[in-house]
Amino acid sequence: MQRSERELAGKVAIVTGASRGIGKAVAAKFARSGACVVLTGRNVDAGTAAAKEIGGGRRDVMFVKADQGSDADWTAVLAHAQKAFGRVDILVANAGLSNNVPTAGMELSQFRDLNRTNLKGPFLGLKHCVAAMRKHGEGGSVVLMSSIVGMVGVPGYIHYSAAKGGLRLMAKAAALELGAENIRVNSIHPGMIRTDMTAGFDEQAVIPRIPLGKFGEGEDIANAALFLASNRGKFITGVQLVVDGGWTVQ
Amino acid sequence: MTGKLANRTVIVTGATKGIGREACLALAREGAKIVATGRDEKGGLETAALVGDLGGECLYLRHDIRKENDWRDVFAKTTERFGAPHGLVNNAGIFFVKPLAETTEEDFDNIYSINVEGTFLGVKHAFQSFAASQTQGAIVNVSSLMGQVGFPNAIAYCATKGAITAMTKTAAMEGAAMSPKVRVNSLHPGVIWTPMITGTFGDDKALSDAFAADTPLKMIGLPEYMADAITFLISDDSAYITGAELTADGGRGAD
Repeated sequence: MQRSERELAGKVAIVTGASRGIGKAVAAKFARSGACVVLTGRNVDAGTAAAKEIGGGRRDVMFVKADQGSDADWTAVLAHAQKAFGRVDILVANAGLSNNVPTAGMELSQFRDLNRTNLKGPFLGLKHCVAAMRKHGEGGSVVLMSSIVGMVGVPGYIHYSAAKGGLRLMAKAAALELGAENIRVNSIHPGMIRTDMTAGFDEQAVIPRIPLGKFGEGEDIANAALFLASNRGKFITGVQLVVDGGWTVQ
Repeated sequence: MTGKLANRTVIVTGATKGIGREACLALAREGAKIVATGRDEKGGLETAALVGDLGGECLYLRHDIRKENDWRDVFAKTTERFGAPHGLVNNAGIFFVKPLAETTEEDFDNIYSINVEGTFLGVKHAFQSFAASQTQGAIVNVSSLMGQVGFPNAIAYCATKGAITAMTKTAAMEGAAMSPKVRVNSLHPGVIWTPMITGTFGDDKALSDAFAADTPLKMIGLPEYMADAITFLISDDSAYITGAELTADGGRGAD
């Protein structure tokens, strides 16, 4: 009577920024749930190692080198996915950069570089993957990895705020536009998750601000992504799923 | 029994039909023992039988969520039968549609006492139970899309569901300060084809088609979809989620 552990069987998923951190946890969860998974990232060694670790030799888990902000790279990723698996059902646009720069001292180039990857990249991914989903006409599910910084402000992160707030509304607009085709688009808003991106943070200084009193793990985000990507999320589109240990409740 | 909720007990209010009944079934599929409560004994016993058909265990308890003594009784009998509970789904509630100018004080008091006070009492007694039994509990309060956005002719309903949305956040803060920690989240269904809706607007195919056409996903919501969301929020799949609003509305609230 228990529900299937392989709830993504027959589905093809693309996960960007999957060499490490949240993206790697999502890719691993999807692979364990029966999906064919294309991991993307810029670092070939790390990405190849992640795919090998997750797939353990499975041919339906592969790494493709790609820069999320490059339109040409997206064309290549979709070509690989179509050739290997014949379809695309799920996109998790997870890749993102982050650094702390006070606004008055931020060069336009710094603002633009981060948003190229963090905001334009998911737009390109959505565009290419929607085209692929339309080929089979069975719909699909897209998860844009935003952040609590897409809900509340954080000093020193004006570029990151722009990207993450942009993703939140991009998901809603896309949800309205694509709903009739059964293509669902939602955003996840992680709080403090233990990854390389947060490795430099002073955990003991930050933890008092988190009601649940700890950093989250990649697995916490992976569980949320699987919920939205799977059939369990079939009536859910255009929503923001906050996974932050209660940070933004206050 | 195996599953994400093996060896856990979950109390579901308003479990005699609709979303509450489907929540009982979905939670039981993940191995939970179920206490299904509500005022309609016939419907409650049917829910218990349906859980039994799945191979699960379910106790039906007659329960008026407005009455604090009923809450004491529900927690006592749950603990007696299955041990201390691990989860509570505050699902019971009523719907009410009337223009603002025609809504009487009695109308308002009635829906308020059920939707707001009933939910408050549930959170209160769950906190007491989790603290006494040293249980890392989880609570799901069923609010509504109408606890996030306005809707014409539904001032009383929107008020009560907005109250649940905000109470959930305060409860999440207090629950996080408990030891062990208790998570509290709200679920916000859109239009779900249940007796609550059909009892108000009629069980009419043309009407459900119209609701579907007005929903971005072009489908009508079914109670089993809400049950999947409730199960997610009760289980450890949402271990790092508290005070959150999970909307499940086919995209209606995205515009």
